[in-house]
Amino acid sequence: MDRIRRNKLVIFVLVFPGLLVFTFAVLYPIFMSAYYGMTDWKGIGEFNIVGFENYRKVIFEDKIFRTSLLNAAALAFFTVFVQHPVAMFFAIITDKIGGKLESFFRAVFFVPCVISIVVTSKMWVNVLNSNYGLLNKILDAINLGFLKQDWLGHKDIALFSVIFVIMWQGFGYAYLIYYSGIKGIPEELLEAGRIDGANSWQQFSKITFPMLKPVIMVNVSIAITSSLKQMEPIYLMTNGGPGTRTQFVANYLYMQAFSAQKYSYANAIAVVFVIVCLITTVVVQNIFRSRD
Amino acid sequence: MKLLKKSLIAVVIMAMLFGLAACAAEKASNSPTPSTTAPEDSPEQQPETITINFFSNLPDRTAGQGLLEQTILDNYMKENPHITIKVEALQDEPYKQKFQSYVASNNLPDIFNVWGQPSFFQAVMEKGYAAELNPDDYKDYGFFEGSTTDFSYNGKLYGLPRNQDMTTVFINKAIFNDNNVKIPTTYNELVNAAKAFRAKGIQPLSINGRDKWILNLFFQDLVIKVSGNQRTIYDASTGKTSFASDPDIRKAAELFKGLVDAGLFQDSFTSADYGAAQNLFLQEQAAMFYMGAWEVGMASNPDNSEHFRQNVALIPFPTVEGGKGKITDVCAWNGGGYAVSASSPVKDEAIKLLNYMMHPDNWPKIGWQQGLVVPGQNYKEYMTGKENVLQVQLTDILNTATSMSGTPWNDFNPGDWKANVENLIQEFAAGITTVDEFLEALDNVVPK
Repeated sequence: MDRIRRNKLVIFVLVFPGLLVFTFAVLYPIFMSAYYGMTDWKGIGEFNIVGFENYRKVIFEDKIFRTSLLNAAALAFFTVFVQHPVAMFFAIITDKIGGKLESFFRAVFFVPCVISIVVTSKMWVNVLNSNYGLLNKILDAINLGFLKQDWLGHKDIALFSVIFVIMWQGFGYAYLIYYSGIKGIPEELLEAGRIDGANSWQQFSKITFPMLKPVIMVNVSIAITSSLKQMEPIYLMTNGGPGTRTQFVANYLYMQAFSAQKYSYANAIAVVFVIVCLITTVVVQNIFRSRD
Repeated sequence: MKLLKKSLIAVVIMAMLFGLAACAAEKASNSPTPSTTAPEDSPEQQPETITINFFSNLPDRTAGQGLLEQTILDNYMKENPHITIKVEALQDEPYKQKFQSYVASNNLPDIFNVWGQPSFFQAVMEKGYAAELNPDDYKDYGFFEGSTTDFSYNGKLYGLPRNQDMTTVFINKAIFNDNNVKIPTTYNELVNAAKAFRAKGIQPLSINGRDKWILNLFFQDLVIKVSGNQRTIYDASTGKTSFASDPDIRKAAELFKGLVDAGLFQDSFTSADYGAAQNLFLQEQAAMFYMGAWEVGMASNPDNSEHFRQNVALIPFPTVEGGKGKITDVCAWNGGGYAVSASSPVKDEAIKLLNYMMHPDNWPKIGWQQGLVVPGQNYKEYMTGKENVLQVQLTDILNTATSMSGTPWNDFNPGDWKANVENLIQEFAAGITTVDEFLEALDNVVPK
């Protein structure tokens, strides 16, 4: 069997179908995008090759592209430094509770991930609506009316509202990964710690947290890449508005292609975007590796 | 051992190849099946059956224009049993997006909705995607003068408009009366009304700012009322003059900002979509609603409350103190319409259907008499005296109009002009940019 596995022909035959799919489903579209990015195609009729003009504009001149990347960075920041600590906290708490309550909370936290993004996004649009939205009504009811805001329309607040909703939508996954990480920590280690007189904080900082490191690495990598790729909640909640304050790259390139009919430019954005994602992933991986 | 190894390798390879071949064979056997059987089936069993694919931007087939469209299509199928019409309907934005992908794959449905605006239709006509129509067919159709201009290219006709579009301010008379607020006829009165309603906790005017284009129309209305010249905004849009240096446009921008600051638009208007903005008005939570004439059906739609239907009315866009525009200078155009695909296999049948739809006895007559639309064709002879209040008021405004704008300025240039100016006006409305920044940014996106 071992020899068969080492046979080059067998390796080739086993790898080839996957490679074929990868080539046509991933590499070929990226290559075509790169090609169309070098044209002035408007989605209709013939086009001319314009070289790297579109790419130059995306990288050096496009303020909206830059805003979109900064918004993604803000989302990644809040996800990693707000959503994840909270998710980890609740994962530890639910683990400590045990029993039926544990499975109850596990289900509760994961519910938003099971519901369609369209549904949850539209729900939040209604909750945050400043005319009839639940949030402003509650603020009114508890005499905090002065805190009422135009949550999705205010130029300085809209981005944070959107970030909050996206964090809420993704909370279940972050929680579940931490939860399973915590479940994987051998009970003997914690027990040994307790016998040695470690208090709860010491147990967390000396045992749980270090043992969770691989899980944190995976979770943070996922968070950063998914922050870059956000599209549906933005499209459904603000469509990038007001102006371009809540624009994200995927939504921006979609608008460029289908609203502005700048297919070639949208392709250029897509290619630059792929490169940005790749660089980010490599950088994040390297940071973790060097920390390891 | 060697033999065993070799035979194992062979088995693995065979298995893989067989798997691949099976996949390929499955595909090969699957794909032609429908295409080979279908043409055989249809001419043999039902030789006369013709299917016309109809792509519409009116997804609600039970009310308003969608109902009208569906009624006419159903009538046509009843009169021509051998014709089957397959309707695919999407809302405006998804419609435009899907339209683009149909165009990109050169696979347009037989009849489709178009907007007679350079930003949408010009490239479609120019690149030959729309079938040429014979203007003589429509001599007796009563299309308003100039209404087919934007559906023509190089002197040839490629589409037909369906409605007379115009911006109007819908009002709820009860809210005005109950709160002792004067119905505005001038800018200052509009500002005062906004302040009076705000003081009582009522949303003055509902607008779907998330959709952006409506803000462009509102701005155009202001420019018309300030300058009194319909050309002003188009001259700036084409680079003949500039937005930043035209005093009338600057004044209009300042007035626009004044209205935002006075709280005229409802809270979170920049995040309100069409449905949300309209609901606010239909639920009588807002005193006014800025929208196009195509919403005249609101006054006869039984889904709306009796109280609302009795109190809804419309007014022309207010004049501006010191402005040169009259109340009768209006922002009106012929927007939506239909065209036939040039590459349609049933092109002649599709044109026949189009001609049937737009026949004076169909779209204009049924649409007007049922209070669903304001047709782009002469509808005077279809007046029954039973028109709803909005239809009557709108007809008055149209009949007394001293000038009409034509295609809205955000749709005036092809390419990405539309996306750019719509973004810019929303930024301006949201207070992200100042008057100066807004006007300069507009000048920067004018096609060179």
